[in-house]
Parts: sequence; structure tokens; C-alpha cells
Amino acid sequence: MVRREHQGLTATEAVAGAPGRRARLALPGLAGAGRPLLGIALGLLLVLPMAFFLAVAVSPRLFAQGPQWFTLSNFAQALSGQTLQGLVDSLVVGVVAAAVAVAAGSALAWLVQRTTLPGRRIVPILVWAVLLSPSYLSALGWERLVEPDGVLAQMGLHALALRHLVMGPIGVTLVLATRGVPFAFLTVSAALLGLGSEFEEAARVHGASRWGALRVALPIVAPALWSAAAIVFAESISDFGVASTLAADAHFPVATYTLFTAIDSTPIEFGIAAAVAWLLVAAGGLAIVAQQRALRGRSYAVLGGRTRLAGRHRLGPGGMALGLAFVVGLFLAALGIPVLGAVSASLLKDFGAAYGLHAWTLSNYRRVFTDDGLLGPILLSARMAAITATLAVVIGLALARLLVRRSASTLTRVLDLALIGAVAVPTVVLAAGYIFAYNLPILARLGVSLYGTLTLLGMGYLAGVLPTLSRMLIGPVAQVQASMVDAARVHGAGGARTWQSVVVPLLARPILWAWLFAWVGTLLELPISQLLYPPGEEPLSVAITKHLANYDFGGGTAMMVVSVLGALAVVGAALGLFRLLVPAGWRRAGS
Amino acid sequence: MGAGPMAGRRARGRWAGLTALAAALALMGAACSQANASGSSGKVPLVVYSAQGYDSAMVTAFQKATGIPTKLVDDSTGPLLARVQAEKDNPQWDILWVDGATAFAALDQEGLLHRGFEPSVAFTSVGQQLIPSDKSYIPTGVTTMAAVVYDSSKVSSPPTSWQDLLSPQWSKGIGMNDPSVSGPTYGFVAGMMQQFGGAAQGEAFFEKLKANGLQVFQTNGDTLHALTTGQIKLALVQSSAGIGAGLQASSIKSVFLPTQTLMPGCIGISTGAKGAVLKEAERFAEFVLSGAGQKVQQGGDPQGDSLYWPVLSSVAPLPALPDLSALQTQIIDPTLWGPREAGINQWFDANIRG
Repeated sequence: MVRREHQGLTATEAVAGAPGRRARLALPGLAGAGRPLLGIALGLLLVLPMAFFLAVAVSPRLFAQGPQWFTLSNFAQALSGQTLQGLVDSLVVGVVAAAVAVAAGSALAWLVQRTTLPGRRIVPILVWAVLLSPSYLSALGWERLVEPDGVLAQMGLHALALRHLVMGPIGVTLVLATRGVPFAFLTVSAALLGLGSEFEEAARVHGASRWGALRVALPIVAPALWSAAAIVFAESISDFGVASTLAADAHFPVATYTLFTAIDSTPIEFGIAAAVAWLLVAAGGLAIVAQQRALRGRSYAVLGGRTRLAGRHRLGPGGMALGLAFVVGLFLAALGIPVLGAVSASLLKDFGAAYGLHAWTLSNYRRVFTDDGLLGPILLSARMAAITATLAVVIGLALARLLVRRSASTLTRVLDLALIGAVAVPTVVLAAGYIFAYNLPILARLGVSLYGTLTLLGMGYLAGVLPTLSRMLIGPVAQVQASMVDAARVHGAGGARTWQSVVVPLLARPILWAWLFAWVGTLLELPISQLLYPPGEEPLSVAITKHLANYDFGGGTAMMVVSVLGALAVVGAALGLFRLLVPAGWRRAGS
Repeated sequence: MGAGPMAGRRARGRWAGLTALAAALALMGAACSQANASGSSGKVPLVVYSAQGYDSAMVTAFQKATGIPTKLVDDSTGPLLARVQAEKDNPQWDILWVDGATAFAALDQEGLLHRGFEPSVAFTSVGQQLIPSDKSYIPTGVTTMAAVVYDSSKVSSPPTSWQDLLSPQWSKGIGMNDPSVSGPTYGFVAGMMQQFGGAAQGEAFFEKLKANGLQVFQTNGDTLHALTTGQIKLALVQSSAGIGAGLQASSIKSVFLPTQTLMPGCIGISTGAKGAVLKEAERFAEFVLSGAGQKVQQGGDPQGDSLYWPVLSSVAPLPALPDLSALQTQIIDPTLWGPREAGINQWFDANIRG
């Protein structure tokens, strides 16, 4: 039954700004006082630090970062030489990665939602596994696989052509595209779930071929495709994990890396880094503008309560083989190969020098569990991640609710732009902005001593995950059918009761996934941890990086693998508990 | 929204929501404040920013010996200097302990370093030469840039001069770090320029190296990884990294071609450290250079940063290190080469890294 109810949702609701009938999901108590509170929270978490950092680009003197009160020279430098090349590369990579991710994610969504493909039920779990794994692990895994004397070479396969392909622009783009597939899959799946079969059927009745029917259906899910493309683009241009590993090792300059080197090497040039950040924010904004222009003036409100359950397309043997090959290939690339590469690298001795298989050793793993310095960082990061994830879900839900409001007000549009701009900004910018904003001498004089505390580190983490998380929650929040909320209210339920009996059950699963996404992302977060961690409180990612920097390659990689496996174990346990403890109806909703 | 009779319930709901949000924020504050409050025990806590592999052992030993609560921010040099720079208006560190005098000379020029302090210890002649005239930082040991590291099971006759590296024997077989990512590598590039007679001559040498197939990696670890995975035959890395690699894999050897550029590890005290904290910071520097401190420095990271040459005449280097006086070495003037760092790194990235 739940499934059928689900079909009544509007296809377009996965996208902010598109018209349609939506539930008014007032968070209990946030109706009146909530919005200012939310505004203050966003201001302190995101707007203030970002504005401070961006201000350095035009007024270095303001933060003692140079002699000028006003200058455009940082932009001139950002738009020349290697930095310009990095920006251009990033934009091209972002566009191609977005296109590939949306194509692959849509195909995957169609196979899972609309065909009888065997094994389709485990695909969403694999998709989440991709979403939860850090991008540098993917990049490192690929490198360890194809490098000379890497895993393939150890197996006797010297794939020179593959190495050149992976260690260059194509490899960078494809790794980012595979990381974008989950965003596209989740968004397009939501749209397909709501899209009844009547449009395709009508097309077929009127003599259209299967291809023709697709041409009818595609424009209807266009908002979802555009939304997915915008987020993958923004995620790709701000990615640091792939930029600092695969792209840097291949000497392929991308914007996040040139920004990082401006901050990370002497002389430290915050001004140039800030100018690059401005341009990345602008690029993210352009993506949203492009999305809105493409959809402007058209109504996508095609579906209502009478939407018919869509049937599943029965795949023939050829189609099934093709579909399976696609799914297996996709997840091998997105998940399997990086994991294999990283695990095998962690088994190597010394500097990854394996003179034959006999040199593989488990001693690195033994060290991880006996190293005193590791348990503290693990516990600290796990605790910080749990607090961050909980707050991120609460605030993210409130934001998502604002973004799916029936009338797209100026506020909504500004919020949408600000959030995608924040997604497009590398987190190291946010971290530096936090120092500028919260280490001001005037704050100390006012008695506010936030800087150098775990509270500020937690705020930084929260700001890091919130933009992506709130956009992820837009789809599920939009899908909660208005009539169900209305029905609850008509039957006398108050705001809190409605949330408890209607909204929470419907959103339980996406909330859990969003929480896990924020938890895992924070657990292994690096740039914010590096710049904001309080003296004496070393987070996990800093401890791991330190081992890698001290030439303990096997040990560092082993720590990383143990952390990721530990994180996946927690994810598994959380999902298992969800299955055991939560009513069956809750679980089926949104599946 | 619902009708009038439910107003009371709605109001309660609103309060419930606000309370929930406030409670969540309070939870975060409470969970975090626990750690923020720790360490407040009479004496003012000392904050050390350090990239040295033995720093956490040193901080523990110092705290034990003096009772001064000491907190460590332990990270690579790049992020630490970025933090110091961003905190410029309101420094949060008392001690900075990283490799490379150029970074300290730059901080000194910006007025961020406390001047005029020199621990009363017997420095070696090398140690004395490394102390700046305004005494704004203190050397705690030296390494050299760059050791030529090779695998003796694959390479039987290593090079004996820098010019040797240009021979066809090493075509596509040499790797080094990127100076704009690895701080000590800038010292190497500047040192080569100094010994060849100027920036232009140094550039010409690196251009020839590039023509001979030089490969550029990010840091010491990456370059050594390339060596042990057979991508290169010779790795030009920091001496401690090369000797440490030899301790981990016995076939890995290092040679020190003339002339080697000395890379001092230094301690700088922040101008933000005043009164009692300044005294504590000076005690920290004195402790590092004491007999007990040097034991910790040599034992804290035995296969990495502990492989330094001490700058005190009373302390011998670890047995794995060759005699420093037997090597031909030079010191580069940080006030001369420091300001040229951005330009030279840019030149390197545009013309050599490529």
C-alpha cells in the first residue's frame, strides 16, 4: 500500500523551485520563531566565515594579510598562469563529470525502478556505499592499482595504456563522475517513482517506438536531471580528495589544488586563494542559473493522486546481460577497484615496496590496533561526527522544507544559490574563513572564546556537510504527500503529532541515510580538521595524514582502511537496528 | 494549518521544537566544553605548533619534567604555517617548531617572532652559524637537502656529483619533490642555485635535469614510494627520509653529493607569548636542547625525523648517520632566499614540474 501511495507524488518534487502541490511540513515549533533562528544559525555557520574569507580577496589589509585596503590584483593573479589553467580544467571536468554521472545515474535509476533486472534491490545499498566512501580513497585505490609495481603489475598485468588513461584528465573526470552517480541516481529515482506509466503508454499507443516513448518521458524528469547535474558539477569542482591525489600526481592542475597550494606553501597567499574561491562560487551559481533558465516557464506538475502504478519492463536475455554488465562494471569502478587497490596497498611492507607477494603483511593492521595514539583520535572523531550528524539532520530538514515551499520566493532562491555556492567551495576555504571570523581580537575582548575549541571545530564540520545534506533531503521532504499531512490535521492532530505520525515515518529512512552520510563524512574530514582542531585534540584524519607524511605508507593506509571498514560496520549496524526496531511500514516508505 | 481549538497544542508543539533545537545546540556545547575546560591547572597552558615526528614524545616529556601543561597541534608544515598566517591578528600559538629557516625569517619580518632569546648551551659551529643575528629563532638540529637515495640491489654505481645526474645512465630515472608542496625542497632548489653561482645557473641545471627525464612528485614519501615501486632509480629527498628508508629496507642506500644544503629544524617563540607563558616557552626551548630533551628527540621518531645531526657539541648523532663534518655542506641565507621563494617555485612549477 505504501508503495502505491508513493506513486501519487509529483515527479517534479525532487527539485526545488518547480511548481507542484506539496505538503506543508512545518517543523513543530519552527513556524514562527524558527525562520529567524535558522537564519542566525546559517549566518554564523556559513555566511559569516565565507564572507570573511572572500573579503580577503579584495581587502587583504582588513585581516592583516597584505598592505592594500582594496585591490583587484588577486583576481588578476587568479586569472593568469597555472591558476587560470586550474579553473578552466575544473570547469571542463565538472561539466563532463556531471554529464557522465547524470547519464549513468539515470540509466541505473531506470534499471532499478522500471525493469526486472536481477539484484536490483541491492543497488541502492551499493549506491550509498559509494556516497559514504571518501573520494581520496577512490583516487588512491586507482593509483595503487595501475602504478608500476602496483597491484595489476604484481598480478603480472602491465597495463600501460590503462595507467596513462587513469593518471590524467580522463581518470580524474571518471573518478569524479563515478562519485557523482549516487546524487544522480537518488534524484532521478525519486522522479521515476513519482512518474506513472501513462505518459509512456500514451506515446506507445500513438505509435511511438520505445525510443520515442523515452523522448516523451525524459523531458518530464528534466528537473531531476538538471538538479542532479548541478549538484554533481558543484561537488566535482570543489572536490579535494581527487584533486590532491590523482590530479596532483598526474600534474593536471585543478582549481581546488591551486587554491590549496596558495594556502599551504610559503608564501601563504590567502588573497589569491580567496579570489579562486570567488570564481568557484560564481561557477556554482552559474550552474543553478542554468538549471533555472532551462526549466523556466514550464510546468512539470504532471502528476496527482490518480497517477497509475508504473509497471516494470521485462528485460529479455540480451537486455538483462547488458544491464547486468553495466551495473557490475559501474560498481567495480566506483567501489570494487578502489577498495581492492587500497586494501592491497595497506598490506605492502615499507614504502609499498613489495618484492613479490611474500612481502605482503598484516603487521600494519596489527600496529593500528596497538598504536596508543590512534584510539583517542578515533573516539574523538566518532563523537564529533555523531554530534555533527545529528545537528545537520535537524537543520538540514528545516532547510529542505524551506527549499520545497510551494511559492518560490526570493528568499528560497537566495537560499538555493547560497547552498549550491557553499557546495562549490572547497572546505579548506570554509576552515580558513572560520579562523578569520572567530579569531578576531574583538571577540576575545567581548568574552567570546570560541576559537581553538571543539565547539568551533564542530560548527566547521556542520557547515561542511550542511549544504550537500540539505539538498539531499529536498527530494524525500518534497515527496511527503500534502494530503497525508492535511488528513492528519483534519483528524485533529497537532503539529508535533502530525510530524510524529506522518512525517517522521515517511522520512525515517532518508533521515537515517542522511545522518550516516554526515557521520561518515565528518569522521574522516581533513581540511577543516587540520585548520581548526584545538591543541591537544587530534582528529582521526590528522593522525592518519601524519603517519602518511612520516613515510609510514603501509601503516597510514592500514589506518585508513580500518577507519573506513569501521565506519561501514557502524553503517551496517545502524541499518540492522533500523530493520529490527522500526515498524515495517516506516521501513517500506520511501524505498 | 489546523483550526482554532488546536492553538494550545500548536503552541506546545512550537515550544517543543524550539526546546529541541536549543537542546541540540546545548548538547554540542556541553559535549565540546568538557575538553575545552581540561588543562586548567594553575599554570598557564603552553601551546606548541609542530611538524616534527618526535614532537608528541617531547611534549609529554616536557610536561612530565616541568609540570607545565602543554598542548600540541601536530601537523605538516604547510597547514601549520597557514594556521599561523591566518591567526596573525591574534596568535594562538606560543611555540612553532618546523624545518627550514626561510619560513622563520619571513615570520620574523612580519614581527611574529619574539627576539633576543638564546638558550645558554654549547652549540656546535654549525649550530652557531644557524642562529640569526636578532636571535628570533633557535636551531634544534639539522638535516641536509638532498640525499640521493637508491636501491643497491638495482643500482651498483650511484652518482658521485650533481653533474653525473645529467648522464644518459639516469635518463627518466630521477625523481624529486615539488618545492611548492614540500618546504625543504625549496631549500634544495635555492641551495643548488647558490652553489652553481646564481639563479640563472641553477635554473639551467634543473632544465638539463628535466631534459634528462626528471620526474617530480609531491613530497618525500611520494618520491620514495616511486623509488621502491621502480618508477625511478634515484630519489632526491631529505636526508632523514633517505636514511630512514634505509633502516626499513636494507637495500636502500643514500649518498650525499657535494655540496649539501643544511636544513635546520628551528623553534620560534610567538610575540603573543607574554609574561609567564613567555618564560614557559623559553623553558621548552631549553628543555629541547638539554641532555634529557635530546634523548627524547633522538628516540621519538627513530626511522624518520630523529635521524638529524644535533647542533650541540655534547650530543652525538644516531649511529645510522654519517659524520657531518665529512660532508661538504653549505648554509643558505634565509633573508636572501626567503623572499625569492614564491618566484622560484612558480618558475619551477611552470618549467620543470610540467
